[in-house]
Amino acid sequence: MSELTAASDVTVADPESAATEEQRAEKRTLGVAFWVCIAWLVLMVALAFLAPYLPIKDPRANFTGKGQAGASKGPSGDHWFGTDKDARDVFSRTLWGARVSLTVGFVAIAFGMVVGGTLGMLSGFFRGWCDRVFSFIFLVLLSFPSLVLAIMLTALLDRKLMTIAIILGILAVAPVGRLARATTLQFAEREFVMAARSLGAKNKRIIVRELLPNVAIPMSALALLGMAVAIVAEGGLAFLGLSVEKGITWGGMIQLGSDNSRTLERAPWIAFFPIGVLFLTVFALNFAGDRVRTYFDVKEISL
Amino acid sequence: MRYWLQRIAMAVSLLLAVSALTFGAMNLLGDPLFNILGPIAGDTDNPKSVKLIEQAKEQYHLDRALGVRYGYWLSDFVQGDMGVQFGRDGQPPVTKLIKERVPRTVMLLIIGQLIAILLAIPWAIIAASRVDKPVDRLSTGTTFLLVSLPSFALAVILKFFLAIKFEIFPLTFNAQDPLKSRIWQMILPGMVIGLPAAAIYQRLLRTDLITTLQEDFILMARSKGVSRRRVLFRHALRPSLFSFITVIGLTTGALIGGSIVVETIFRIPGLGSSLVEAVLRQDFPVVLAIVMIVAAAFVLINLLIDVFYSIIDPRVRR
Repeated sequence: MSELTAASDVTVADPESAATEEQRAEKRTLGVAFWVCIAWLVLMVALAFLAPYLPIKDPRANFTGKGQAGASKGPSGDHWFGTDKDARDVFSRTLWGARVSLTVGFVAIAFGMVVGGTLGMLSGFFRGWCDRVFSFIFLVLLSFPSLVLAIMLTALLDRKLMTIAIILGILAVAPVGRLARATTLQFAEREFVMAARSLGAKNKRIIVRELLPNVAIPMSALALLGMAVAIVAEGGLAFLGLSVEKGITWGGMIQLGSDNSRTLERAPWIAFFPIGVLFLTVFALNFAGDRVRTYFDVKEISL
Repeated sequence: MRYWLQRIAMAVSLLLAVSALTFGAMNLLGDPLFNILGPIAGDTDNPKSVKLIEQAKEQYHLDRALGVRYGYWLSDFVQGDMGVQFGRDGQPPVTKLIKERVPRTVMLLIIGQLIAILLAIPWAIIAASRVDKPVDRLSTGTTFLLVSLPSFALAVILKFFLAIKFEIFPLTFNAQDPLKSRIWQMILPGMVIGLPAAAIYQRLLRTDLITTLQEDFILMARSKGVSRRRVLFRHALRPSLFSFITVIGLTTGALIGGSIVVETIFRIPGLGSSLVEAVLRQDFPVVLAIVMIVAAAFVLINLLIDVFYSIIDPRVRR
């Protein structure tokens, strides 16, 4: 849901911002819940990575029961998450689906970070026409509701994994770029930049050695939140039948289980297990991102 | 005056950029001739097909340069003619299709926003008046859950519980029904886009209210003997409305994105569902028209927020 709301100003708070004592105390540690979220994410990444080697059922095989051809069965010791309409194992499909979702989420936000971060830092550092052009590009990107742009591009290009990931990465460029620009603008005025310059440092060195480490901190929070947005967007595309062709995706599984309301009524597990895993993953990313944001005192990130 | 001219020039150039990009991408990456005629487009041996191809090229200016074609499209579009649907003889022109579908999407968005606002205000007041008590912590947790639930997942969950298990709401939308039952059919889709928005509003309003409640004028009002409830509703809420309205405006853009999925799930023939259909058919005029309408709505909302701002706070106009 928290797609591009395009808040007009992305600001980074100064340390003196009004925070109560309790909030300060909360900030000093990331908290147990943060590490639980990270653990869940690590577990998902590991399971997704190892899916082909784990002793789980073949995600594409049909496990037809005696007498009832093709019917789906509820969760059991044999099929932990039950089987779907085509009698395929929902548990192993969920793990395989994680491969697509996590890859797309990661590549998309990495692309957004590299491209958006570069453009944003350049426009924040050089200002002038450079800033005007890049800021206009960000505005144009933000004028498309994100899903509309993604749907349009998927229809025009192919539906390979990397294409989908890059398309969603393009969506991340504008919000990342605006944050990078705002942060760079703020730090470019600071004394340490002037000190470096008076010591004879070139622009390139100032950007890479002085500004990048400072901009990277608020960006790390945005990376986690942005990955969540990308995973949700991929799910939405898959749900509409516009994501990776032939691949197993969470969105596609949820669509399969809920398309027909009789299927949803009789075999809710087909849709609800992928929903649960998708939700936990997105929740973990959102929560971890939010904790990192408070930890580093980044006041506002809008995606 | 100068400020407004600048703002409007910016809005117009944004829309031009969006339309040029969309138009260019669709014409360069897609194959318009194929999308108009279907397989006939490749059949250059058959004289009958060649004639059709020539005809289509003539009608859609396909043999002209891309820029010229964009010019034709733009001048038609500005005059309210969005062209004809590709490859579907006998279908109404795009303008008519859009006119029929816009009201449904607008209705869905209004219902969604109403649900969100009506839910968020009392929710935020309850939470802000009991900061860090269990109620507040629970409600902050709930907002996190709602924001992390993708709209299609929320749709499936609500559909399962509210329409299938307990048959409170109807499952699908029927455009032929009378207005009253159509509104009733839109409550469930409205909830799907309204609940996450409510969570966003609640978070914002709660933080705002907590800050406001620490102000001296609140203490003053309380010590004058104004009741707690009255202070919360009359004195504390008012300064927060400023940022609240901004966020409502900005969220509308995101809600349009959410409505695409929701319209498809609940089979509401609105802008979003026709966008998905048109994209799958590569029906360029329809896609362009919808993208432009949505982008224009988004830009217009931002402009209206600025107008609203300058009315209540003239310092903005410099």
